[in-house]
Amino acid sequence: MVIITLVFCQVPMGDIRQSLLPRDVLSAAKELLYHLDIYICNLVQSGRQPPQVDAKTLELVEEFILHAPKDRNTPGRRMSALQELQLLEIMCSCFQEQSRDTVRQLMFSALFSLQGNQADESRMALLGKLVSMAVAVGRNPILECAATWLQRTHRVYCVRLAQVLVDDYCSMVPGSVPTLQNIHGASPRFCCQFITAVTTLYDLTSEELTPPLELLQMIVSWIQDDPRLVLITFLNTPLSGSQPISSLDITPLGGLMRWCVKAPLAYRREKKQALTNGSAENEQEAGPLLSALHLSVLQVFMLLPNILNEKGLFGRLALLQLESLAALTSDLSRLLDQADKHTHTSSADTQALSQLTLDRLAQALQVAMANGALLCSREDLRAICSRLPHNNLLQLVLSGPVMYYNNIHTPPLAFSPHAAHSPIASHPTHPAHTPHTPLATHPSSHPQYPGQPFITGMPFPFRPSH
Amino acid sequence: MSVVFDGSPLKAMQSSHTHSPHTAPSAQELSQEIKSFISGVDTVQGRKLSVREHARCAVRLLRSVPACRGAVLEHLRGVYDEHVSAFLHNLETEGNGGSGVSSNLEDIIQEVHGVLSEFIRLNPRAWAPLVSSWAVDLLGQLSSKHAGRRVAPHSSSLNELLQLWMSCAATRSLMEAYSQCLAAMLAWCPDACVDALLDTSVQHSPHFDWVVAHIGSAFPGTIISRVLACGLKDFCSHGAKDQGLMVMGLEKGNRVPKIGSVVGILGHLAAHHSDSIRKELLRMFQESLSPSSPLSPTSSSTSWESSPQLRRAAVPFLLQLAAMSPNLFGAVSAELVELLRPPVLLQLQALLQGLPREELDNMLGLAVHLISQSPSGGARVLRFLADTATPASVIISGPTPSPHEGVREGCDRLLQMLLLHLHKLVFNRSDGVEGNPHHSASSQPQRVILFLEELQSHVGELCAETLRLERKRHLWLHQLLCLLSIYGGPSVATEALCQLLTQARNPEELALAWQLHTTLSSCMAGLIPTAVTRCVAQIHTHTLGPRQLRQLLLNLAAAIQSQDEERRGSASAQSSMATQLGSAVSVHLHDFGPLLLHGDPAVSHATVRLLSCSPLPRTFCPAHLLLLSRAAVTHFFQALRRRGEAGKVGKDGGQAGEAVNCSVLLLSRLAVYSPLTLKAVLQQLVEGALHKGNTDLFGGQIADMSGAPVPSPSVTPDVGASLLDINCRFGTTVNFSGSVWSVFHAGVIGKGLKVRSDIQLPDPSGVIQNIQTILAVVVQCCSSSGLNGSMNGSRPASDPDEPLPINAEAAKVVAITLVESVCPDVANGELSWPPEEHARTTVERDIHIRRWFEAHPVIFPLLQVVAAGRPALCYCSAVLRGLLATLLAHWEASREMSSTDSPWHLQASCLLVSCMGEGQLLPPVLANVHEAFPHLTPFEVRLLLLAVWEYVRGNGPMPQKFVFSSEKGLFCRDFSRDGDVARYVAPIHSVLHKNIDRLGHLCWRFQL
Repeated sequence: MVIITLVFCQVPMGDIRQSLLPRDVLSAAKELLYHLDIYICNLVQSGRQPPQVDAKTLELVEEFILHAPKDRNTPGRRMSALQELQLLEIMCSCFQEQSRDTVRQLMFSALFSLQGNQADESRMALLGKLVSMAVAVGRNPILECAATWLQRTHRVYCVRLAQVLVDDYCSMVPGSVPTLQNIHGASPRFCCQFITAVTTLYDLTSEELTPPLELLQMIVSWIQDDPRLVLITFLNTPLSGSQPISSLDITPLGGLMRWCVKAPLAYRREKKQALTNGSAENEQEAGPLLSALHLSVLQVFMLLPNILNEKGLFGRLALLQLESLAALTSDLSRLLDQADKHTHTSSADTQALSQLTLDRLAQALQVAMANGALLCSREDLRAICSRLPHNNLLQLVLSGPVMYYNNIHTPPLAFSPHAAHSPIASHPTHPAHTPHTPLATHPSSHPQYPGQPFITGMPFPFRPSH
Repeated sequence: MSVVFDGSPLKAMQSSHTHSPHTAPSAQELSQEIKSFISGVDTVQGRKLSVREHARCAVRLLRSVPACRGAVLEHLRGVYDEHVSAFLHNLETEGNGGSGVSSNLEDIIQEVHGVLSEFIRLNPRAWAPLVSSWAVDLLGQLSSKHAGRRVAPHSSSLNELLQLWMSCAATRSLMEAYSQCLAAMLAWCPDACVDALLDTSVQHSPHFDWVVAHIGSAFPGTIISRVLACGLKDFCSHGAKDQGLMVMGLEKGNRVPKIGSVVGILGHLAAHHSDSIRKELLRMFQESLSPSSPLSPTSSSTSWESSPQLRRAAVPFLLQLAAMSPNLFGAVSAELVELLRPPVLLQLQALLQGLPREELDNMLGLAVHLISQSPSGGARVLRFLADTATPASVIISGPTPSPHEGVREGCDRLLQMLLLHLHKLVFNRSDGVEGNPHHSASSQPQRVILFLEELQSHVGELCAETLRLERKRHLWLHQLLCLLSIYGGPSVATEALCQLLTQARNPEELALAWQLHTTLSSCMAGLIPTAVTRCVAQIHTHTLGPRQLRQLLLNLAAAIQSQDEERRGSASAQSSMATQLGSAVSVHLHDFGPLLLHGDPAVSHATVRLLSCSPLPRTFCPAHLLLLSRAAVTHFFQALRRRGEAGKVGKDGGQAGEAVNCSVLLLSRLAVYSPLTLKAVLQQLVEGALHKGNTDLFGGQIADMSGAPVPSPSVTPDVGASLLDINCRFGTTVNFSGSVWSVFHAGVIGKGLKVRSDIQLPDPSGVIQNIQTILAVVVQCCSSSGLNGSMNGSRPASDPDEPLPINAEAAKVVAITLVESVCPDVANGELSWPPEEHARTTVERDIHIRRWFEAHPVIFPLLQVVAAGRPALCYCSAVLRGLLATLLAHWEASREMSSTDSPWHLQASCLLVSCMGEGQLLPPVLANVHEAFPHLTPFEVRLLLLAVWEYVRGNGPMPQKFVFSSEKGLFCRDFSRDGDVARYVAPIHSVLHKNIDRLGHLCWRFQL
């Protein structure tokens, strides 16, 4: 066996082509997979660093597995759907049976990392089916590989993969949401990346880009069960600073925050359309879900200081980007403008929803800043939020501690260290539970809690001059 | 059909679905399931799966593993196919669709259908596109795969096909699934599903047609507009070049354009939804023209209106469509023309200006082709084209306002191309088969030119349009008429010619008929006779109004008269045609005869003009001839009367006068024609002149004609005696006063003389004119050569100034007729005269005769004519005797001082004697006595008249006494053979002596 593989190792993969050509589509693909497996094993064993699959092999994959037309004259062979299913099945077991993680990753990337050529389309299609199938039959290794893939790939393609899964499990096949829900247990990394991709995809700008209720429910339940889920990628990734350009955010926090903030407006719009259809259940169900989600997001923010401190990144790594925030606020101001215009007799309902949106924004900003997720000055924030309508809470957040702590050189915003460990238990009057009332416990607006302990000696994120 | 799957199976599926979450398969189970599905072997038990188990497995995967969707649907294809095979096999073997094998899979198919329809219902956006394309593709595959089966009906019998497939569970299920998808998708992306339908239709036509037909009739509105929109897009992307080639019959490449299936589908739908198809096509046309406005929310979700390129392609596309399907074309063409109002035309022009030259030519050719093949509405199209292409003019303002110049030129061009095209078609066609159009149509169906076929029924209107002589228009129409005539053969040509003859109103218009004939005469013989026959038939069926009738007759007359002119000028084909026309008309003269008596003077005038100029046929049935001459004479009197009336009213009697002239001409020509006609004409003329109704024309007085009093109550007081009353009372009472015995011709005894009913005397000048006219006619008839030629062949050539002598035979006819009219009693009676005393026995008769003379002044002139035709006057001797007897009685009884005191009697006496002298009943000495009458007393007049009587009694008025003198060309009487005249002259001489003072200058007249 060893001899054979050694011998094979010397044979370039390119020579296999002649033997593959006469085969039928499926067996050629099978054989190539087999050879690929052996080839990669050898590659890993050879210890060459970094292990690199050569271009010839990638071409073979494109020709015999993805069936990209090699040139214009010969029409590419196509597999029937049944053959494709067989191939997927074989792939599933292939990844399942491969015990070495490195080999799996290499193989996965040999098959599915995008090459920027015309094979990418079929690559994406096959990947979508493979992942979907892996979700259904619980092939965790594949999901792990896919999680890595999601980290390395341009966000446009990541979003497409997420879209396939959402389509398959949330809309096409009724009653299959539980299957997708299982991925939380199967591969938290994949789950986290999936959430990031989904929040990137559904930016609530239009009806199509509003997440389906099932998806929302699923995500909320995931995060409620385990708020650290959203940080898993962040936690597991060595911060080499070599994030591929335009890949997904490292956490879904920004996207989730966007959901929470924009949702009241977005779902109201949907409700308006739904009213003509005679069902307004979406909004009623989505409301509490989003409240819960908002709470969870805030909780996750509050988890951050410890983690960042552990990694020594507090104040140095911004998990929320100021640019995306700027996009969010400008979007928001446009939406609110529209809402005002559309409802001339701006009903109390509309007003309340707008205020809720702004409240959530203010809360999120405040908590994010306080916990080091957002690194910017209040001036920056004011610039970003300048076009938003008036909101008391937001006003407070924007004016910040300057009003009250003008001369005090202590950080105005901080939570007791124990709060990070059990945030819900220690904050009985947390705003998320009563979103319509201003934050009663907001330290900056309530000087009657002067005894609240602050962490001293901590870098003050919004006061770099200090 | 469609309810089958909505029932219990679906519910069962739903209930099973609601159970499924509890028994949600684990990942492991699913993995096993997938393996089983792939291998077809139950991985747990290790046995092979049956078809239904396999299918169930597939359905389970469909519900649980989304990634298997494609594979499952592919697998299900096989299941459906198997079911169809089993179903058809069952039909073939058993004949009566039994339960057997087919029911085996039916439940699984229902299950699949239930799942699919549930999915579609729950999430149409995701599933409908998927399932619809799958279902359509599978349907196409199934229907073309099994098309060759024995039980499968031929693809042309759509209904049977539909029945077969809809009774098969598999195909029905697919069809319903597709319908469901379509219903769901119509809301947001109808183009996609119709695209798929069209693609499949192209691929599997014609076996797939039943699907399209079914879907189309389920969603007529949408399918039609979608199909059109898809076709348009395809057309646009293919460009017009391919289409052009396709029309020519060449199909380029393997990619068949969708337009073929568009046509097919619309063709199917046309059976039941032609109305909506028409609306849709027209809408497409209109919207393609209307300037692109964003404010058109009416456009129902179709996107083609927004693309300028597609809009530009719409018109060529529609043309193409029409070219490929006569059905569609027929549906649209009629209303299309209505739509083409000037603003639309301007838009169309603006649209077409952007097209390249070559494409325009292509379109033009296509349009011409279409028009020439349009089965209906051709007339309207033609009118539209002509209206639009006719140059605007100050004089002629058509029904539509003058279009833009560019539009006009375009139409002009189109029309000329059309004519050229038709010309080619017509002449290519007729070189194969000549003559009978029906024969050629059956043997060469492709030669039928529908446009012309249809226009054949509009020949009349075409002719009318042509005759309007509007600028270019009549040239086009005339050309078209030629083509039409050649195409339609003699019947149409005849019709056209006949119409032109009927409708032309002046020589220029009439010339069109000759132009047409000139063109046609080269390829058609005997056109004119048939045309004339047809005209006559029209007259007989009374299809023509008086105006048209008159016009037709005048036109014919004008045509025949032109012959005379051209005989002088250039002897061209036209003159030969006039000759032909003349001979054709002459055959039908007797048909025109009755028209002489038409109630409308204009018609009768036209008739007489025609008859007077048309040649008479060589042979003529005597009956016809008599009828004709009778009609001619009757018309003559009518014409006289009309002339009189016209003169009285004071208006220009030109037409009436001309009618009289024509009538005279006709009569004289008839008289010349044969002895028979001469006789008939003369007889009828004389009878007519003396007829009660016509007396007033010639100054006669009708009232005194009969013995019975005819007082007009308003003028004469009732005398209280009525023969009728008396006869009624006769039996009961005897009352001799005022009884029948006392009623005498001169009045009732005891009541004095009967009051003469005073009739307004006719206009004396008119009377004179009438008398002149009738004399002229009679003289002309009598002096014409008809009888002369037969009787005295060698008549000396007389110089033309001298009037021809009166023919003796003709004069005899006049004489006899005269006698018969005046006093039938004496007709054929004794010619010789009895002694004067015997006159007492014939007083009654003599008075009757005198009354005739009194009432009919025209008798004297007629007598003079008779006298001129010696010896005809002999035959009037009885009448002459009667008149002379009454005159003698009058002069005897007269106590007047001078003869001039009874002017009528004096005149009558003079005329009588001069007539007898002229007729050589008296020798010249006696004949001259009338010259003395005005100077004498009544008694002396009586003496002289008695001498006349005596002479005639002595020398009877016998025709035998006349001999023909060849040098004079007349009959003459040699008085020397008779007895001595001297003894009759004695009274004359004594009267001369008595009145020598006044009669001296006349003495020489009475020298023997």
